[in-house]
Amino acid sequence: MKKLLWLVLCVVALPAAAAIDGTQILQKVDRNLEPESYESYRKLIDIQPDGSKKESVLYTMKKGRDKVVALFLSPPSDKGRVTLRLGDNMWLYIPDVGKPVRITSLQSVTGSVFNNADILRIDYTAEYNVEAAEEQKNAYLLSLKAKTGDIAYDRLKMWVDKQALVPTTIEAYAASGLLLKTLRFKDVKDFGGGIKRPATLETDSPLYKGYKSVMLWSGLKKRDFPDEIFTLNYLPRIEELRK
Amino acid sequence: MKRWLVLVFLAANAWAADEYGFDASEFEKKPFELGGYIQLKQESLSLNRGGAFYQLGFYNEPQKETLDRTTGTLQLAGKLRLGIGTFDFRTNSELQRDQLAHDHDNSIFEAAYSIRPTPGFTLEAGKRALKWGKGYAWNPIGFVERPKDANDPQLAREGFVMADADWIFSPGGDLQTLAFTPVILPVGGDVNSDFGARNHLNPAAKLYLLYRDIDFDFAWMGRGSRPARFGMDFSTNLSSNFEMHGEWARIQRFTKPVTDSSGQVTTEIGNATSYLLGLRYLTESDTTYIAEYYHNGTGYSEQEARQFYQLVDTAFTTGNSALVQKALSLSEGSYGRSNAGTDYLYFRAQQKDGLGIVYFQPSITVMMNLQDHSYQLTPELMYTGISNLELRARLFLLQGDSGTDFGEKQVSRKVELYARYYF
Repeated sequence: MKKLLWLVLCVVALPAAAAIDGTQILQKVDRNLEPESYESYRKLIDIQPDGSKKESVLYTMKKGRDKVVALFLSPPSDKGRVTLRLGDNMWLYIPDVGKPVRITSLQSVTGSVFNNADILRIDYTAEYNVEAAEEQKNAYLLSLKAKTGDIAYDRLKMWVDKQALVPTTIEAYAASGLLLKTLRFKDVKDFGGGIKRPATLETDSPLYKGYKSVMLWSGLKKRDFPDEIFTLNYLPRIEELRK
Repeated sequence: MKRWLVLVFLAANAWAADEYGFDASEFEKKPFELGGYIQLKQESLSLNRGGAFYQLGFYNEPQKETLDRTTGTLQLAGKLRLGIGTFDFRTNSELQRDQLAHDHDNSIFEAAYSIRPTPGFTLEAGKRALKWGKGYAWNPIGFVERPKDANDPQLAREGFVMADADWIFSPGGDLQTLAFTPVILPVGGDVNSDFGARNHLNPAAKLYLLYRDIDFDFAWMGRGSRPARFGMDFSTNLSSNFEMHGEWARIQRFTKPVTDSSGQVTTEIGNATSYLLGLRYLTESDTTYIAEYYHNGTGYSEQEARQFYQLVDTAFTTGNSALVQKALSLSEGSYGRSNAGTDYLYFRAQQKDGLGIVYFQPSITVMMNLQDHSYQLTPELMYTGISNLELRARLFLLQGDSGTDFGEKQVSRKVELYARYYF
């Protein structure tokens, strides 16, 4: 009887052991894209249908799974603006206004195809559950569902490079099933300190036909920050943390 | 031919690489930074000849139906990193010209030195524009700042000379942030002389909490140049696209001059309570709605305001110069505030990428005095698609019967155009 039970257990457990663990892949994607606490510089390029471009440069700091702050260094019209994200809460500080105001994840502080959720992205595992994972020839396809209704995109389809375990393409969908945008990760680069990840992210959206936005990374490195800087009172002074 | 094709291909590749090139070292922190903007504004004003504030403003001046005004503004903002701290400043210079006068003004909006011994502690002294409160158009708890212009809530304002500190704590759990900001705002001699009575230190403080995803501020200012006051505000997201905020303030022993139609002024002393409730809602089509209800406890009721307008009318109809002087004196005080009534509604709708044009933002704003139902309607067009250039056109339409808030203003209609270039 014991032998029979053992046999049944093995038969049941084997396929589960062989199945892909999507959550584990997503955790690796999070850490391969960025260390848990880091600083980086990013350039956002918004390309309009006539080919004209608008560029912004941001200094970004992240701590833990859900604390991000981004400071605009350029262009001069946006210089000194700071966006802060703590979990689902987001604020924008404009130097002229002199105090932070709450903003939403679907807005875009730059007016680009990238919205605030893209610019102040926190760990995917903090916002999404893996509903399904599928193995393809060179990639894993993860189907992600937002943990709450407050997340910018209700569902994500994420293609993850099998070797590097970084995303190559992400399709972002609304709750209605409407494709909101496609994000394409390119140009895998060694940033040093064991960080090797795509340095370019391109996006377009059926909602903004003819428009394209590009995000470029530079100076991405691990750095620890005190909790106090991820607060509203610290936003006017955030630039002093740059080295 | 093949060689040419190879060269063209290589050139295209080099261009593509350059197009997306980015090196963070170009953006290293510098010991001195200077930026700002230059702005040219053209206004065309249709004057409200029957309005009380026109009569007061154009007393002993050539009478006009319209006025065209040109204003040039240069605003400079900079930072100088000195030793363990940072000196930052913001200056504002304006040159204004219309058919009646030309004027210029140079102001230091902010100039303060700050040090941060630890990330959670800042100490600073100098001229600073501290802005308190969560309201968009009004801030009842803005105890240590100059009044906000509800027609331009995002405009930088001149600060006051003060010393302040900032302690920040992150306890964790439900109480994510706790921050304490004590302030000393001295008034004496030429320092902060427009804040109130001289020879007071004017202590004030604000306590900020982020508790369970809700922002709370508790503010206080002791009795000194102005009566003592305290208040609080809050702001939270009810959903990812729906924000709600509120403010409440109480001024103790507030003195309010109230006139009757014959110019008999009595001073009312009592506690004044002001509050504000507002929301901000973003639709799926990127329309943002901002709505606020504001009760101004220091304002004048419809009846009190009518008595003042009748005084002005009597003064100018009879030509009684003593009455005119009295009305002028009252208009320079609390009767002349831009929102001197007690109850207002503010509503603004703005569309991102209007007409499918990225960086084009049409909007419309309504400000209404809820007691006398007079209002101001402001359609606006803004375009920011050209790097560092902001273009804005606004039309102000003021509507109200005689004896009402917006019906007695100096201007009945205004067209405003400006171009602002950031550098």
